[in-house]
Order: sequence, then structure tokens, then C-alpha cells
Amino acid sequence: MMSTIDLTLKIWRQKNSDALGDFETYILRDISTDMSFLEMIDVLNEQLTREGKEPVAFDHDCREGICGACGAVVDGVAHGPDLETTLCQLHMRKFKSGDTIVIEPFRSIAFPIKKDLLVDRSALDRIIQAGGFVSVNTGGTVDGNSIPVSTETAELAMDAASCIGCGACVASCPNGAAMLFTGAKIAQLSLLPQGHPERKERARSMVTQMDKEGFGYCSNEKECELACPKGISIRNIARMNREFLKSFLLGE
Amino acid sequence: MWFLSFIKTSIGKKLVMATSGLLLLSFLAIHAFGNAAIYMGSKYFQIYADFLHGFPVLVLIFGFGLLLIFLAHVGVGLLLFFEKRKTSSRYDVETRVVENTFASRTMPYTGAWIFVFLIVHVFAFNFGKPEGVKVSMLVQQYFSGFFYSLFYIISFIALAIHLNHGFWSMLQTFGLNHPRYNKLISTLTVAVPLIFLVIFGGIPIYFMTGSAAGY
Repeated sequence: MMSTIDLTLKIWRQKNSDALGDFETYILRDISTDMSFLEMIDVLNEQLTREGKEPVAFDHDCREGICGACGAVVDGVAHGPDLETTLCQLHMRKFKSGDTIVIEPFRSIAFPIKKDLLVDRSALDRIIQAGGFVSVNTGGTVDGNSIPVSTETAELAMDAASCIGCGACVASCPNGAAMLFTGAKIAQLSLLPQGHPERKERARSMVTQMDKEGFGYCSNEKECELACPKGISIRNIARMNREFLKSFLLGE
Repeated sequence: MWFLSFIKTSIGKKLVMATSGLLLLSFLAIHAFGNAAIYMGSKYFQIYADFLHGFPVLVLIFGFGLLLIFLAHVGVGLLLFFEKRKTSSRYDVETRVVENTFASRTMPYTGAWIFVFLIVHVFAFNFGKPEGVKVSMLVQQYFSGFFYSLFYIISFIALAIHLNHGFWSMLQTFGLNHPRYNKLISTLTVAVPLIFLVIFGGIPIYFMTGSAAGY
């Protein structure tokens, strides 16, 4: 049998980047526990639209936990209370009837709020633009297996590459740092031979861009690791630190 | 200059903290070795002190170097502290998934305490040392005072707390994080501060409890 719960929501409402925001309280009844968190907000938005009010703006896309578009801070935890889960994959069965849920946008100096729960995360894109790529000359296609890579290394690179760039690490970091994101992006390329030619410039320019965007420094508190919906380890931050040190000591 | 642009970056600052931290830690290790001579009696401690100060030029040069390293640690630490002030506390509901250690939360404060302690300590045993009193006797004289000893013990506890986060944080900043060594690192980050706490903190207790009767 389908069970339903009643909820009180406290949601951050903000008209635009310049407006002062505040919390609004909403009551939702008969929410199916099989719903995802975003579906629950959809129900709220239907209700708000019927009442002639402005629906809550939030980012979402694939709704299957792989695109990195969604995300909000639920009761103080980025992507909500479930480990290694994006907001869209969080289900209402995790909540009890009568719960009050506080929903806030991902906050960081580098993530300006656009509207309600919608934040501008293009700072992460600019970090990628600064060096999160490999340059490949045009010409004949190289055979895929011409450069041998060990399974272990490939797995490590894949673990780092599973970052979906959602920004939960930034949102959860007590210091608003994008170290886990940048670390994963640097690690995935530095682990593979294709990423080696540009590794020194890459580490330096990506870190420089990260600082320029207003992200904080890493205070080694490990909070990002647990907020990450993909379970990316801070080992990648250590790898970035090594890459960065090498780039400064030995780079051109 | 490359060092200036290095220190301007977030990771650069952390690396300065880690490097100066490591150097300060090595100083502590040598200092602990010398002070452990106290447990062997005043004679041996005096021998160590006389031996050390038999190289006045080296002591001066290394002391000056130590001061520089210390100032770098404090200076960059302060920069990071004030930078952090700007970004903290931004959610209505404050929760932590990882209940983070008391040590990491209090780094700047334990650090500040150690700073005050060092001023007192250096003036007591170095600049403000009364003429003609042997250092082995001076130690006994100071630590027979209850509040003086208490101040030292509290400071060593602050140091142990500071090192508890500092040790692993330093290794993480250097990029030392590997499943093979992480178990060892998490043991050492408790063991290393405890060893310092036992050696240094034991000294005032040694004199306070009267176990130093034969000193």
C-alpha cells in the first residue's frame, strides 16, 4: 500500500540576485513516500501555481542522479540526508510525517543566487576552461588501446571522473572551497597518460582560477567527501596538492 | 617572483603552513629529547644544557631561523584565519555530516595560546633568565610554583590538540593520502601529540608531585 506523509517546508525564497531573500513556510499534505524530493517540490509548485503564487525555482535535469544539475541544502546537508545521493534520487520515504524540512540553496561566495534555490555555478565551468581538458592535434584517429593503462590506474581515474560537478562539495565545505571538485578534475587527467603533457600548467592554472572565483582554501575537514553524491575521496585533493607543488617547484 | 605568486594561491598558503609545521615539529622532537634529560636528574640535564650552549653561534643562527619559521607559520595562519572569517556560517540549519574534531575547530585558538605560551617560555628561560642561576635549578624553581606549572600543563594540552589536527592536515596538504598509509597516519596523528604531551607535560608534574625528590 502506498503510504503518505504530511510535511512542513521552510524554503528559501529570493526574487533575484539583488533581492533580499527570506524563508517561506508551506504545508504539504498526502505526499507519497515513493516520490523523489524534486517530485515533492513539483507538487508544491502545482499547488502554488493554482493559488496564483510564484512557484519555487530550482535546477534539475536528468532526475536520475547523473547530470549534476540539481542540488539544494536540505536540513543543513547538501543533497539531503542520504549518503551518495543527489537531491533527485533522495526519496520521501527518508522523511516522517510531521517533519519540518528546511530547504536552502547551495551557498558560496562563488555561487550567486539567481532565484530561490537556483544558483549560478558557472564558476566551476570557468575552472574547467582554465585547464580541465587535454589538447589533441587533429589528424588520423589514434588507436584506442595504443597507450597501455593499468586497470588500477584506469579505475582511479574513473573514480575521479565520476564527479558530476554539482557543487555539493562547495556547498558543504565550511570554508566554501571547491577543492574536491578541482582535485577530482585535475586527478582524472593527471592519472592518465593523455593528461601528462599539460599537467603542470593545468594544476597551476586551474588552482589560480579557483582562487580567482572566490572559493576558499581547504581546511581538511572532510565534509565534502561525505556530501559528494558520487563518493569522491579527498585523496583527489591530496593528488591535486602534489600536482600543484610539482608544477610550482618544477614547472616552467 | 615565483614564491610570491605561490604564496598568493590557496594551496600555496597551506603548503607554507605544512612546511613550517613540519620544521617546527622537528624542532619539538629535538627539544623533547633534550628536556627528557630532566627525568635522569639535574646533573644530566645540566650536561645537556651546557653542551648545547657550548655552540653559542649555532644556537643563535638556529634560534633566528626558528623564529623566522615560527613567524611564517603564525603570519600565514593569521592570513588564513581572517580569510575564513568571511565565508563561515551561511546556512539557517547548521549540521555537520562528519562531526569534526574539536582540534580542527580550535586550530587558531590553540595556536594563539601556544603563541602566548612561547613568549612567556622564551622570556622565562632565555632572555629573562636570572644571572648565575643554572638552568637545571631554574626549572625546579619555576615548576615548584603551582600556577606556573598549571599554565605549562594547559599549554602542552593545547599543543597536543593543535598537533592532533595539524599532523594529519600537514600530510594531506603535502599530498600524502594513500589507503596503504592512512591507517598509520590516523594512528600517528594521535600518538605523536600524546608523546609530546607525556614528555613535556610530565616535567611540571614531575616537580609538582614530588617525584623529583632526588633531582
